Amino acid sequence: MIRLQMTLAMIKVMALELWRDRAALVMTFLLPPLVFLIFSSVFAGATGEDIQPKLGVADLAGNEVSGRVMGGLLASAEIRAERVTPASVEAVRAGVKSGRFDAGLVIRSDPAGAGRPFLIIADPGRAVAAPLAQARVQQVLARVAPDAALQRSVRDLAPALGDLTPAQSQRLDATAAALRDRPPSGLDAGLFEREDLKDARKGGAVIAYYAGGVMILFALFSAMQGALGLMDERRSGVADRLLAGVAGMGPVVDGKFAFLVGQALVQAVAIFATAQLVYSVPVVQHLGLWLPTTLAAAVCSAGLALGLVSVCRTREQAQMLSTFVILVLAAIGGSMVPRFLMPAWLQTVGWFTPHAWVIDAYQGILWRDAGLSQVYRAWGVLFAIGGAGLVLAQTLARRSRQ
Amino acid sequence: MTAADGLLTVSDVRHAYDGRPVLQGVDLTLNPGEIYALLGANGAGKTTLIRTLCGRLKPDAGTVRLNGQDPARVPSARAVLGLVPQEIALYPHLTVSENLATFASLAQVPRAAVAEAVQRAMSLTRILDRAHVPVRHLSGGYQRRTNIAAAIVHQPRLLILDEPTVGVDIDARAALDSVIRGLRDLGVAILMTTHDLDQAGGLADRVGFLQSGRMVLEGAPATLLASAFGERMELVVQLSEAPNPEAAERLGQEGLAPVEQRADLWARLDSDGYESAGLLHTRLQAIGLRPREIRVRAPSLHHLFSQVTDGTVAG
Repeated sequence: MIRLQMTLAMIKVMALELWRDRAALVMTFLLPPLVFLIFSSVFAGATGEDIQPKLGVADLAGNEVSGRVMGGLLASAEIRAERVTPASVEAVRAGVKSGRFDAGLVIRSDPAGAGRPFLIIADPGRAVAAPLAQARVQQVLARVAPDAALQRSVRDLAPALGDLTPAQSQRLDATAAALRDRPPSGLDAGLFEREDLKDARKGGAVIAYYAGGVMILFALFSAMQGALGLMDERRSGVADRLLAGVAGMGPVVDGKFAFLVGQALVQAVAIFATAQLVYSVPVVQHLGLWLPTTLAAAVCSAGLALGLVSVCRTREQAQMLSTFVILVLAAIGGSMVPRFLMPAWLQTVGWFTPHAWVIDAYQGILWRDAGLSQVYRAWGVLFAIGGAGLVLAQTLARRSRQ
Repeated sequence: MTAADGLLTVSDVRHAYDGRPVLQGVDLTLNPGEIYALLGANGAGKTTLIRTLCGRLKPDAGTVRLNGQDPARVPSARAVLGLVPQEIALYPHLTVSENLATFASLAQVPRAAVAEAVQRAMSLTRILDRAHVPVRHLSGGYQRRTNIAAAIVHQPRLLILDEPTVGVDIDARAALDSVIRGLRDLGVAILMTTHDLDQAGGLADRVGFLQSGRMVLEGAPATLLASAFGERMELVVQLSEAPNPEAAERLGQEGLAPVEQRADLWARLDSDGYESAGLLHTRLQAIGLRPREIRVRAPSLHHLFSQVTDGTVAG
């Protein structure tokens, strides 16, 4: 009972210190949802189809088909095309070089004619923009000038088939005219067929990913800041005062641990409430598994932070170590960049960070509707890390009497 | 614990760090209602001794008994102990009363008694008017008093103060001295370390000089001074400028020695006091020195401390 009273006293100290430090309060509770919103806004639109590269277009061909392609590009919702004036290769190059356009397109000759009528101008610094722009141009071409594509195909086959008879030429012209008047509904030339997963929630996977990624990033960050209080207590003499008493530093470590767990829970609520309200991530619908996952992540961050700070001798050491650990674990564990973009070996290394387990558990629950059998291992790992950190901090606190 | 034992009894305590002796057979007894000033230069062993008294360090040899028990082995023995660290060991964002309530809880004061304990500690240290002020907004003097209040909130019988007046002005020091005397009058045994020898001389019932881990001199300040200096007074000569080597030699022949490493300040102990001062003035003028001032004063703990650190006085 008396131990509980001492632990509660320490929780109160930490809560009051945080409440009266407005900057720390903002960092702890306002910044996490804000960073989550920024990350999710960036990466939710970075899944491919939603990217709209800015394209500078110059029409040097100046015929009816190139005019249709230009008109189609300017009207397309999938690309932000802009006519370049004066229409020249140099003007397009200059626009790309200056960063005004992500990529450039020059229609050099009749799109239905021979040769390579389109020139894509790309900046190596934004290499991904070129293939994206090319794909968009192909989509537009298939939509607004399918006849040109047909005529190009026939012209390509002519050397093998020989010249067309007048009747064949007549039927070709008629088909081209029909295509021009009524373009096919499919956007591509028919080589591919696409199937989307049934009941898949568009964009939700990345949101769920980043909610977890930001949650563990900030839980650990805030826990490190809170755990640094141990160093302040050593430096200010509070530790000396308490170590001269009956209870020592044990209740202080307990109180800090309990507070940091509670703090991480509140942070998680703020982040996932934002995810549910802004992106309709089904958090409440998965509360049964979300809650233990969040508790495991909170215990992990609190224990890890206290353990790490306890092994340091000075605040400077602890500050350096915490910055190093926070950044490296976040980078490897996937809080900064989605893990599926990482090389295989780095993805494997990622499993040695709590971040990867937290992210995987949250994404499993909120995106893949995973059950207990798919998340219990993550809980085990996270509780084990947190428990080990707490035991280490308690052990070193006892030794600090010496 | 027998009646002869003090609240704190230290017997022949020895300790070494990596083979380097830090405490070499220290004895110390402290009784309720007594102020004891532990004096010594940096590295004399004061901090190690205090860590030993608090049970944080188990000595290599000898015994420490706090209220009859070993504080290193029996944690409950430390319940009678309050420590005032040299630093302001408080939570700066919390108010005075919040700090005291926290330390009362951490010292295992029952929850129902915390409020009363806080009021009592604030009253004894005269900080009631600052009860709701955050510690970081207090003046240095009030911070020091709150530092003491946090150590007495659980009503310890032994209070250890480590340099309690560092960085405080004269008024604040006088207020602190008054608080410390008030606690002594309530029967609290007080052990303080200080470099402020004037404070030690004015406040302590007994002082102990620790040097190289040994208690070389111990007793009531007046007794120690009488024993070391008898009826002699100190003549302090302040010159208008530093003497040249020849003049310095003549000063030495007059029995004068530089004071506080200042070339213009020389002193000697003299049995005849004021009478000698006049003669000395005449002789110094005769050798071409112009004393700006010659003072006669009673020897203080400063002189004793100098003699102890010089090795002139040995226990």
